Formats: sequence, structure tokens, C-alpha cells
Amino acid sequence: MAEQESKYFHAIQILPDNCTGCTACVRVCPTEAIRVRDRKAQIDPNRCIDCGNCVTICQFHAIIPRSDPLEIINRFKYKVAIVSSSYAGQFTEDISYSAAKQALYALGFDEVAEEAMVTDFMISMIREYIRSNRDKRPILSSNCPAVVRLIQVKYPSLLPNLFHEEAPMSILTRFLREKIAKERELKDEELGIFLIVPCVAHVTAVHQPEGAYKHLQDGAFSIGMIYGKVREHIKNAVNNPTEVETFSKGLTWALSGVQAELVDTDDIRALSVNGIENVMDILSRVEDHYLDQYDYIVLRSCTNGCVGGCLNVENPFVAMSRIKKMIKEAPSRDFDESPLKELHEAGEFDVSPLAPRSIMELDKDIKNAIQKMKKINEFLIMLPGLNCSACGSPTCYALAEDIVQGKATIDDCVVLLKRHNIEDEED
Amino acid sequence: MAEYWNIDPARQSLVDEFFAQKPEPEVSLDFNIPEKDFNNAGKGSAEVKNLLKRLGIDPEILRRIAVASYEAEINVAAHSVGGKMISNIYDDLIHIRFEDHGPGIADIEQAMIPGFSTADDLVREMGFGAGLGLPNIKKNSDMLHIDSERGKNTVLELIVFFS
Repeated sequence: MAEQESKYFHAIQILPDNCTGCTACVRVCPTEAIRVRDRKAQIDPNRCIDCGNCVTICQFHAIIPRSDPLEIINRFKYKVAIVSSSYAGQFTEDISYSAAKQALYALGFDEVAEEAMVTDFMISMIREYIRSNRDKRPILSSNCPAVVRLIQVKYPSLLPNLFHEEAPMSILTRFLREKIAKERELKDEELGIFLIVPCVAHVTAVHQPEGAYKHLQDGAFSIGMIYGKVREHIKNAVNNPTEVETFSKGLTWALSGVQAELVDTDDIRALSVNGIENVMDILSRVEDHYLDQYDYIVLRSCTNGCVGGCLNVENPFVAMSRIKKMIKEAPSRDFDESPLKELHEAGEFDVSPLAPRSIMELDKDIKNAIQKMKKINEFLIMLPGLNCSACGSPTCYALAEDIVQGKATIDDCVVLLKRHNIEDEED
Repeated sequence: MAEYWNIDPARQSLVDEFFAQKPEPEVSLDFNIPEKDFNNAGKGSAEVKNLLKRLGIDPEILRRIAVASYEAEINVAAHSVGGKMISNIYDDLIHIRFEDHGPGIADIEQAMIPGFSTADDLVREMGFGAGLGLPNIKKNSDMLHIDSERGKNTVLELIVFFS
């Protein structure tokens, strides 16, 4: 297994037997974390941010998401699922959201809660946070774990700008853990709380949460993994509907644009950005203070927000359209926010300051870094500049850097090798 | 030719020493800046910023360099018929030189006043031309030198120290 030692958990797994060394993943990785060496892809765990681009691009089923097996819920006496808002967009329109939610109970959960329940509460918490942190502009959303990790590795100077409170599914976890344990007289280890998530990054965040002070979830299942099982139960749910409460009005959380519109108000200007390339462009401009006119920026790694997560089954645009329709047609439903407010005031949703995971420096000492850069430039002149990735590094520049850092040699460049062979033949 | 100098007094001797010795840069980067090409203007300074990140420059100093070089690059694109940007990196500082092919600045002192701009409609339509370019460069550099005259070309050079 081509995995390097690291303190970081990642919900991405490489199956070397399936890997052809095609380098498709190498080219789509936004942090240049992947190399093909000895004809197999390897991920540098220090650079990986779990965005899932490699999972989406791999045609050979060689990079696959890690997800917990559903059976682990049976270790707990009382099983709770918290479902991401994007789940609602994954079904054809003849299947109601309540039927889709009902089918989750059939998987063995005693209780199913929705991320959408706490949307209104989140919006007011975000506004309050912005108003009491006016010295930091703009505040950056922290719900997308891939974005949080991207900032840690590539834009560490922006870490103080992150919204330092838990994400909605974790807030709901804290709330439900207290409430259910008390109501049902359960010990902490008897109560299992699980997330149903649209992406790799959220699986990673469950196993290695950044900045969490307390025990949160006990596992994460991807929408893609449970989808087949859900489909088996959906027909029954449609034919035998039970009373299932839904909170469709709050499904906005799955859509980055709509979320920004909700936070935006007289004294708060919000911007919505999605897609990892766009996110990187915007973060670079935030660093230089060119976007200080915004108070809040919603940043999501995937197209359109969580509906674009790589472990969903539906196209992000179709899923978005369905969710928008549901929001529009939904009756408003009251959710008692007072216990959430109490927990918030008690500091239960606080997040510890996030630490950088910087990958950018060539060397800790600036003089050494400059010398390395000079050597990189020397190799760069020798390399063909095709950025073909055939060597296993994403670009000629990355290969030059790998050579200088001792991770590759100039002989890895197949184009140079071919040219030398031709010259040898001519001699 | 009209000249403008602004040097942080605390850095005066270091700047004098730099110009007296004219040392060879450790790393050098060249960029062409075509006239009114706002799709690409800013790419040179972005490249410089990425390069400096690799060297582990302090984020706040990096920001000053990024802002000063971006503004100067935009100025060349917006006001000249095109030019180039040469970034020279040393162990302790960066020296960036912007040279264009004219038409020059009529009154440099006036151009340094915040809000003053001669930007044309096209430039303003693109969201530039607020008259903050040169003042911003001055604010974010340790040394700023402009050499220009109406009808001639402009040379703008700046220095930012890494610590």
C-alpha cells in the first residue's frame, strides 16, 4: 500500500492492484499531493485536503473513499443518524423527501435528524459571530472540511478569519447527545450518533475533527454507500407512509449560494464561492486584502456546494434544482432553538484555534530555500516544459522541485530520456 | 526627467548600500505586461507571491509585496502602451522594476495624491482607476523610486525587505 506515514487521517484509499499509473489524479489534485512512483499513485498525507477530485476522476476504481461499514451501528443500544441536506436532492421527484427520510429508519436507526433543522440557528449564530468579530474581515465559512484543510496547508495566514464555531451537523450532535442521553437514561457509550455525508472530507472530519473539544460522532456513512440499501426500502416507504417530520425549509445548507443570501443583511455583505479552483483564487485575493468589502464568504470545495460532493449520486445541478423546489414548497416548521442557545452560551460549540499545516516552504531557512529555488530553476530549464505528467509529477516545475527535494531524479522525465536516446542513435 | 523618491528612513542606509553595490540577484523573474490586457494583468505579481510563499516569507510582508507589485503591474497595463516587470529576489529583500514604453507621467507629485487618476473610461469600466494605485505602492514598500516625464517612458522600482 502506497501510503506514507502521517499523523493525518484521510478518507481516501488507493488500491494499488487497480492503479494503472495513468496520472489523471496527479493532474487534478489542487494541492499537488499525488505522485505516481513505480507506476502506482501515492498520496502525501501532509498535503491531502480530502477534496475528492482524485476519487471523481479515477476511471479504474483505484482511488476509493473510505467509509465505515453500516454494521458498526449495532455496537450501540440507541442509534441516531444525522443526514446532510444534500441527501434530499438525490431522489426522483416521485419520491417525497419524507419517504426518503423514512427509508433511513429501515436501515436500523432509532432516530433520524436533519442538518436542515439547525439552519436558522446557524444563520443567526454566524451573524452574531460576524458582528462581534468586526476586526477580522472577512469571516470565512468553516463548514466545508476540505476548505478548512486547504486554508491550513496553503493559506495559513487566513486561519484567524475562519468562523470558529462548530458546523451544523456537529452542533446537532452535541445537542442530541445531551438530550437523548438524558431522556432515555443512556450512558455515553450506549448512544451512537452517525453522519450521512456527501463527500470524503466530511468522513475525514468525523474521524479527525479539526479543533473539536468534545466527543462528536461515532462514524460516517456516505450517501453513495447507503443509496442502494435505501432504494430497497423506498418503495415500502412510499406505499406505507408513516408520520415523518421534515425540515425542508432548512435545506439551503446544501447550496452555497442560497446560504450566502441568507446570511447577507443590512450590515453584513456576503459572497458565495464554490469549486476548489474558485476557492483558491478567492483565498489568494483575501490574503492581499482585496476582498475586505465582504463581511462573510461562504466557501465550498464542490460545485454548487455540498450537492456537488463526490459521494452523492445525482448531478449537482439537478440536485440543486430539486432542493430549491423543496425549499419553495415547504411549510415553515418550528424548531425550538432555546436548548441550542443555552448550549451555545455555555461554550459547547466552541472550536479551538486551528493550527497551520503549511506545505509551501521549500526549507525552514530562507537562505536554503533560495538555494533550492535556484536549483529548481536550473532543472526547470533542462525539462521540456510539456507538463505531461508522464514522470508521475503534476508539472515540470513539480518534478524539478521533487528532484531538488530528493524525491525524484531527472531520469524520471521520459521526454528527455527519449531525446537522449535519439541523440545517442545519431552519434 | 522628473524623479520621485520615497524611502523609509529606517532603511535609508540599507537602500543606499543596495544601489551602491548593485548585487546579482539570487532568483530573477521576468514578465511582459501587454497594454490594457486586464485578463492577464496581475499574473506577474501572483507568480511572485507564490514564489515568495515557497521561501517562507512572513505573511504580512508577503501581503505588502503582493499589493505593491499588483498595483504597479495594473498601472503599467492601464496607463502605458505596455511594458515589463522584472522581479529580483535576494536573501533579505525583493527589488521589482517596472519599465514601460510610454507615454510617461506628466506630474508625479500629483499622481501620488490619493484619489487622483487619469484613467480612461475603459480602465474605469474594468473597475480600476480609483486613484489609489501609487499611494498604495508607497504605503506597502520600503523604497519607491519613479523616473518619468510626459512623452517618455516610466521606470518604477520598489524594494521590500523580508524582515
